[in-house]
Amino acid sequence: MYANPNSIINPSLWPNGPAPGCFFNFPGANVTSTSSSSGIITRTQSPVTTGTSILGLVFDGGVMLAGDMLGSYGSMAKFRSIERTIKVNNSTVLGATGDIADFQHLKAIIEQKVIDEDCADDGFTLKPKALHTWLTRVLYNRRSKFDPLWNTFLVAGIEDGEPYLGCVDKIGTAFSDSKIATGYGAHIALPLMREGLEKKPQMTQEEARALLINCLRVLFYRDCRALNKHQIATITKEGVTIENNIELDTNWEVANFVIGYE
Amino acid sequence: MARRYDTRTTIFSPEGRLYQVEYAMEAIGHAGTCLGILASDGIVLAAERRNTNKLLDEVFFSEKIYQLNADMVCSVAGITSDANVLTNELRLISQRYLLQYGESIPCEQLVSWLCDVKQAYTQYGGKRPFGVSLLYAGWDHQYGFQLYQSDPSGNYGGWKATCIGNNSAAAVSMLKQEYKEGETKIDDALALAIRVMSKTMDATKLTPDKLELATLTRHDNKTYIKVLPVAQVKALIADHEKKEAAEAAKSKPSPAYTPKGVEYPTYTESPGSKPAVYPSAAYSEAPASESEYPYNNIPEKNGVSKGISFNSDFPKFDDFVQHVENIKFDQFKI
Repeated sequence: MYANPNSIINPSLWPNGPAPGCFFNFPGANVTSTSSSSGIITRTQSPVTTGTSILGLVFDGGVMLAGDMLGSYGSMAKFRSIERTIKVNNSTVLGATGDIADFQHLKAIIEQKVIDEDCADDGFTLKPKALHTWLTRVLYNRRSKFDPLWNTFLVAGIEDGEPYLGCVDKIGTAFSDSKIATGYGAHIALPLMREGLEKKPQMTQEEARALLINCLRVLFYRDCRALNKHQIATITKEGVTIENNIELDTNWEVANFVIGYE
Repeated sequence: MARRYDTRTTIFSPEGRLYQVEYAMEAIGHAGTCLGILASDGIVLAAERRNTNKLLDEVFFSEKIYQLNADMVCSVAGITSDANVLTNELRLISQRYLLQYGESIPCEQLVSWLCDVKQAYTQYGGKRPFGVSLLYAGWDHQYGFQLYQSDPSGNYGGWKATCIGNNSAAAVSMLKQEYKEGETKIDDALALAIRVMSKTMDATKLTPDKLELATLTRHDNKTYIKVLPVAQVKALIADHEKKEAAEAAKSKPSPAYTPKGVEYPTYTESPGSKPAVYPSAAYSEAPASESEYPYNNIPEKNGVSKGISFNSDFPKFDDFVQHVENIKFDQFKI
């Protein structure tokens, strides 16, 4: 928000004129043109390097996000140490499904936002709901220009002492819930998470972790674009912890029961 | 000497001054007074209303006090049309932030953003500065109640109590003496605001149509911004006048508080002495009949209402003073 001439909040005062709080770009000083006049055709893309599901679960006293560490290049398991869950600040974590390049682009913008906030030094930090709202606006505006960021994001954190979990997809649909899963997880893992939460609405951290690990295991069995190397992020009032490189035990004997796999 | 360097904002004078900015502040010095006082449980904004023409249609609820967003309110002093542009922009900035982040903009960020705009008009483009000073009163969860003042140069500061507009220097020095940090609640702040306004306003007498009062408070995690209704302002003014009259009765007030060198009348007569306009009918005529309560049908004489208690021989001094507006005493005219 501060000192960023290109943000939505800072239109210039008059044609070729200054953005308030910034230096005046005198006409003719920079010959670089803006993207609107460069003739680039933008339309709906297709993703290149992609990440699969991310799971999010609210427990008693916090939120947990889990996802694997794979960047698939189509059907090839190309990048096997991609961190798709990142810490934004001490109360917020962001996880992404979909195109990794678009995620990294937004990651850089969000990191710059956190730095700007630090520089402003006014005690205000980005809260999970604020990040969620901002992401919704960005994604919706991109979709409206037929140039979407091909991702589904999960924003998790502690908002005013209460756990918060929100989801936005590439067309700007946003909602928040106590259990969310993106990608294949929505079909495979979400029913398992719902079942678990129905049995015990206020889970402990260990129970939530066990449930998510079970879901991750099932996803590894069933999702062709999954890897057995995961990240689990936990956000509580104390702060954020992200564990990387978690590998799960699997038993492929079940494959024998699948007809046609002899 | 000044003449050659004051036509354009974008140049300094040889003495290092920006004349257009200074002239803008001069314009504000002739505008209606606005003052703001920070209390421990809220903020009070008071403004002098200059347009009291009876022909004016009541389109706007308030002439100088504008709500900016759920948690902030501002009052303006200066060129009204410039002020409209700025308050509109302030509201837009707040709403853009709310749309982007889903929460209210922090007070200082809003003030700072607008001041960047005001500063740009003193440095680029060859356009004149905005001839408006603003007082912003707001609440956020980080710093609680805050009061800011900004001027045409784009400078802003946080204040405990301050004043802009006509006679603002006198008001600020009075606030400096009377404002008690940490001990002021909303009611004290309202009383102090009226006290200061009555001394600094042009009008000889404070009336509710010449004064706008607004308060910003918090209850149950929600901000309440209220422009006080006429009845409440009237009551506060009446309280103030009562207190003032009581003070004047006790001792001769110090010269610092007499406006324009006029002497306050001293009550050398005893409270019980009968002034000329006191209705004598009640005492000179015998009651119509014994059974009838004798004081029910006392006719109103010389504007003294029936509210005065007749239980003792003479009315109490306080009852008398309550209706001082109705009594015409030449010696009381200030």
